[in-house]
Amino acid sequence: MRIKIFRWKAIGPLLVLFTILAVLVVIFAEPIAKDTTEEAGTELLGTQVDIGKLDLHPREAAVNLSRLQIADPFALTQNLLEADDIRLKLNPEALAEKKLVIERLSLSGMRFGTERKTPARRVEGGGFAPKILQAVDQWTKKFDVPLLSLTPIDTIRQLALDPTQLTTIREAEALLARTDSTRKALDQGFQQLNISGTLDSARALVQRLSSADPKKLGLDGTRQAIQSVEETLRQIDAAKKRLEALERNTRTGIQLLGQGTQLLDQARQKDFAFAKSLLKLPSFSAPDIGSAFFGKVSIERFKEALYWAELAQQYMPPGLLPRPAAGPQRLRAAGATLEFPKEKEFPRFLLEQGHLDFSIGGTSAAQGAYQATVRGLTSTPTLYGRPAAIKASRRAAGSAIAEIDVDATIDHVTARTRDAATARLRGIKLPSFDIPGIPFRVVPGTGTSSLDFTMLGGGAQLSGRWAIHSQQVSWAVDTAGRSMNDIERLVWRVVSGLKELEVVAELSGSVGSPKLSVSSNLDKAIAQRLQAVMGEEVARAERLVRAKVDSLVSDKVEPVKRQIASVQAEATKRVESERQRLDQVEQQLQAELKRLTGGLVPGFELPKIKP
Amino acid sequence: MLTLLKLIQSIIKTLHSEGTPGQVAAGMAIGSVLGLTPLLNFHNLVIFSLVVLLNVSFGGAMLGWALFVPLGFLLDPVFHAVGLQLLQAPSLRPLWTAMTNTPLVPYTNFNNTVVLGSFVGWLVLAVPIFFAARYGVARYRATIGERVRRSRFYKAITASQAYNWYRMFRPN
Repeated sequence: MRIKIFRWKAIGPLLVLFTILAVLVVIFAEPIAKDTTEEAGTELLGTQVDIGKLDLHPREAAVNLSRLQIADPFALTQNLLEADDIRLKLNPEALAEKKLVIERLSLSGMRFGTERKTPARRVEGGGFAPKILQAVDQWTKKFDVPLLSLTPIDTIRQLALDPTQLTTIREAEALLARTDSTRKALDQGFQQLNISGTLDSARALVQRLSSADPKKLGLDGTRQAIQSVEETLRQIDAAKKRLEALERNTRTGIQLLGQGTQLLDQARQKDFAFAKSLLKLPSFSAPDIGSAFFGKVSIERFKEALYWAELAQQYMPPGLLPRPAAGPQRLRAAGATLEFPKEKEFPRFLLEQGHLDFSIGGTSAAQGAYQATVRGLTSTPTLYGRPAAIKASRRAAGSAIAEIDVDATIDHVTARTRDAATARLRGIKLPSFDIPGIPFRVVPGTGTSSLDFTMLGGGAQLSGRWAIHSQQVSWAVDTAGRSMNDIERLVWRVVSGLKELEVVAELSGSVGSPKLSVSSNLDKAIAQRLQAVMGEEVARAERLVRAKVDSLVSDKVEPVKRQIASVQAEATKRVESERQRLDQVEQQLQAELKRLTGGLVPGFELPKIKP
Repeated sequence: MLTLLKLIQSIIKTLHSEGTPGQVAAGMAIGSVLGLTPLLNFHNLVIFSLVVLLNVSFGGAMLGWALFVPLGFLLDPVFHAVGLQLLQAPSLRPLWTAMTNTPLVPYTNFNNTVVLGSFVGWLVLAVPIFFAARYGVARYRATIGERVRRSRFYKAITASQAYNWYRMFRPN
C-alpha cells in the first residue's frame, strides 16, 4: 500500500488555527506590547517605566504611547520625565529584521521632575541597571568627605582615653618583646663564637713557647713550634671573622630596634591625632570646610551623571564584534542572545531623529517653551558612525525653572569612548539641603546651577564641575530643642550674614579613584572666624591631648628605649672586649713566632734537613 | 493529574492507532522538537504545521512533545554551551551575520544560545529517535498490543469525545 505524504484534509483546520491565532494577536498584541515595553524599559533604565496606553498602527509602522512616566531612580517619589503622548514612526524594513529603527519621534505634554501619585518601586534583581545603581552607590563611598564638627568648647577640656586604644602602647610592648629576643640571640651568638677555647689554647701555646729555647728545640722542634703558632694564628683569624660577623648581625639587630623606636614616635603622632579626633576639634582648613559643607550634595550630582554614563557604556558599546546579552525570560533557561552587527545594515536599535518643540501656556509649573532633539541614539554606534547627540532646552520666565539647557554627547564610535554632558539651569529654585554633621540647612533660593561631566575611556578618566550660585540664600537652624553651643553660634553668625552663595565642586581622577575638591565663598570666612575665636582654645586642647598621650605612653616607651640602649651598649662592649683579647694573644703569638724564626718573615719555610 | 491522564490517553491511542510504526515514529521524531526547544518560537509554528500537514501520527508528535519536555529542561545547560560554541565560532560568523540581516529570520531567535543549541540537538537526535520509536512501537504491537486493545480501559478511552477529534488527524 502506498502511503500518502500529505494530509490535505488538515489544511482547513490548520487555516482555522492560524485565523484564531491572528485574532488573538489582534486582541492581545497591544496589552502584551504595553506590558513588555514597560518591563523592558524598567529593566533597561533601572527605574520604573509606566505606560498608560499603547496603540499599534501596523499600516503606518507606527506606535503611539500615552501617559509615559519614567521614575527618577534617585528620587522614587518623582518622575524624571512624564509625557502625555509619544509617537514613534518605525522603519518597516528594519522591523522585518527584528530591529527597532525609529525614524521620527515626537513627544507632547512633556514635564520633568513631577511628583508621582505613588512612589516608584525600586528595581531589584540581577539586571545591569540595578547593578549600576548599586555600583554608583558604592562609588560615592570612595570619597573621603570630612565631617564638620562644632563640638562645644567645654567638652574639649575633658578627654577620656583608654590606653588599650593607643597604638604606641601596643607597638612598645611588641618592641620590648623584640628587644628581649635580640638580647637572647646576641647571647647565643657570643656563646657560639667559642672564643674562650681559642684564647686558652693560644695562651697555653704562648706560655709553652716563651719558656722554650729555639736552639734547644732543634730544627724539627722549631718547625713544629712554628707550625703550631701558625695554626693558632689561623684559629685566631677565624675567631676574628666570626666576631666580625656577629658584630654585623648585632649592628643589624640594633638598627632594627632603632627603627622600632622611630615607629614608636610615629605611632605616638597617630595617637595624638586619634586623641584629637576624640575631642572633635573644629577644622580651620578652608578646603575641609568646603568639602564638609557641600561635598555630599556635590557627589550626589556627579553620581547621577555617572549612572547615565555607565548605562550608555553598557547599551552603546563600540565596535562590531558579536556581543552576548541575556536571553529572554521564560520557563526554560534564558541562555544568551548574540548580536551580529553588519556594516551598512540597520543596528538593533536606532533613534535616527527625535524632535520636540512645543509650548505650554498659562501659569502652571509646566508652562514654557520646550525644545529637544535627539540624534543617532543607537545600540551600535560604530555602525551608525556618528556620536549620539541630545539637546534640550526650556524657556519659561517666572516659573520654578526659567531656563534649562542640556547638551549631551555620547561618542562610542571607536574604543576611545567619550561621554559628555552639560546642563545649565538659570533662574531655578535651588533645592535646599542639610549640612552634614551640623544642625544647619541651606535654602539657596533662586539662582543658577550648572553641571559639566565628561567620562573618557569608559571611566579611565573623569572630569566634572558642579556649580551653584545664588544671591538670595537663607539659612535655617534645627537644633531639635537644644540651644546652640559656642562654636555653632559662631558659625551661625558667619553663615547667616551671607546672602550670596557660590559653590564649585570639581571632580577628577578615574571611576576607580575619584578625587573631589569643593570650594565656596563660605570656606575662608568660616575658617578665619574659627581661627580667630577658637585658635587659642584649640591650641590649648591640642596641648592637653599631647600631655595626656605622653603620660600614658611614656611608662611603656621609656623602659623600652632604655632596654634597647642597654642591649646596644652591652653588645658593643662585649664585641670590643673579645676583639681586644684576641688582638692581645695574637700579638703575643706574633712575637713568639718572630723569636722562633729569628726575624724571618712569618710563613717562610725553613729547608728540610735530611737525617 | 489531568495532564498525566491525557498523557496516558495519548500514549494508548498512539500505540494503537492505525498508522504504521514508521508513521508513529516519524510523528514522535518531529514532535520531539516541540519539547526539546523553547516552545514560543517561530520554528515551532512551522514544525506544528508540518505535523498537521504531513501524513505522520499526530498522536505520536504529541507524545514526542510530552516525552521530550523534561529532557529539554534537563539539557538546557548543554544546549546553551553548544549554542554558544556555534554562535561564537569565527568560521560561522558570516552565516549568522547574514541570517541576522535577512528579513523574518531573526524572529526564529536563532541567535539565542538555547534555541540554537536545542534545535541542533534535535537535528542530531531526530534520526535515533525515529528508529528507536519505530522499533519500540513494532515490538509493542507484536507483544502486548492486542491484549491492551481488548481491555476495558482502552475501550473507555477510545469511546471518549476527544477520540473523535483525534481520528481526524489519524494517519491514513
